Amino acid sequence: MFKDLNPILHSQLRLAVVSLLITVKEAEFTYLREKTNATAGNLSVQINKLKEAGYIDVTKSFKDNYPQTICKITPQGVQAFEEYVKDLQAYLNIKK
Amino acid sequence: MENEQTLTGEQSLELITSMIKQARNDYYDTGISALLWGSVIILCSMVTYLNHYLKWPALDYIWWLTVVAVIPQIIISIREGKHRGYRSYQSDLIAGVWLSFSIAIFLFSYLSSRYVIDHEAAIFLTFYGIPTFATGYGRRFRPMIVGGLACWVLAIVSLYVPYPNVLFLLAGGALLAWFIPGLLLRRCYLKAKRQHV
Repeated sequence: MFKDLNPILHSQLRLAVVSLLITVKEAEFTYLREKTNATAGNLSVQINKLKEAGYIDVTKSFKDNYPQTICKITPQGVQAFEEYVKDLQAYLNIKK
Repeated sequence: MENEQTLTGEQSLELITSMIKQARNDYYDTGISALLWGSVIILCSMVTYLNHYLKWPALDYIWWLTVVAVIPQIIISIREGKHRGYRSYQSDLIAGVWLSFSIAIFLFSYLSSRYVIDHEAAIFLTFYGIPTFATGYGRRFRPMIVGGLACWVLAIVSLYVPYPNVLFLLAGGALLAWFIPGLLLRRCYLKAKRQHV
């Protein structure tokens, strides 16, 4: 039975952010922006959506007098990502 | 990268793969630290070898270069950390291994140059501290960090304690480094297991 893909993750930028965060322990906002080539505004909005869904933790602090935002995937985010990949595999198998 | 672009299944998979690959490509070490320590130790060894024949007193202090080299190492580590922009799962563990190795080797050099070591307890306790501190640092588990540090303190204390009393220090090291952290880990493990049943 085909299951709908998680709408929170099935979006280009949010999926890119979660894919990056799944491979590292934590990442700075600037790192995510550089890797995804997204604008700061757009990335900020999508990070907030992921945070509201409970998929990532966001810590804001100051480093060398500059604001620093650090993002980290939560266990809930890991589980959602794993389910998304499983659903994606099922979806691709059905298409074949 | 735009957000609201509709993704097909293939595009999603491609995006996940490309992001994971990008993050993985960043894992490569710059190699500067390895070059620094490789050069310093080669230089010190070769100068000491030459000085065996030359017998210049000033060159007896060449190994102090390893202490001086800690300064550029700290600068390199801070700079690399700043530019990296992320922390990987391995980075803390690798840092823990090198940090504990550094502390242990400096402690061992200090002890062997200052004291006549007439029993092995100091050496054993120094070794006990290495994996304990590295594991504690890598996994952010404070009891093991404390246990590792305690082993190194006990290694120094053991130089003033004669045999067989020194065996109490070995037991103390094992208690602080492994037994107490082990009890704490076991308690967490059983608690987690009960929650998942």
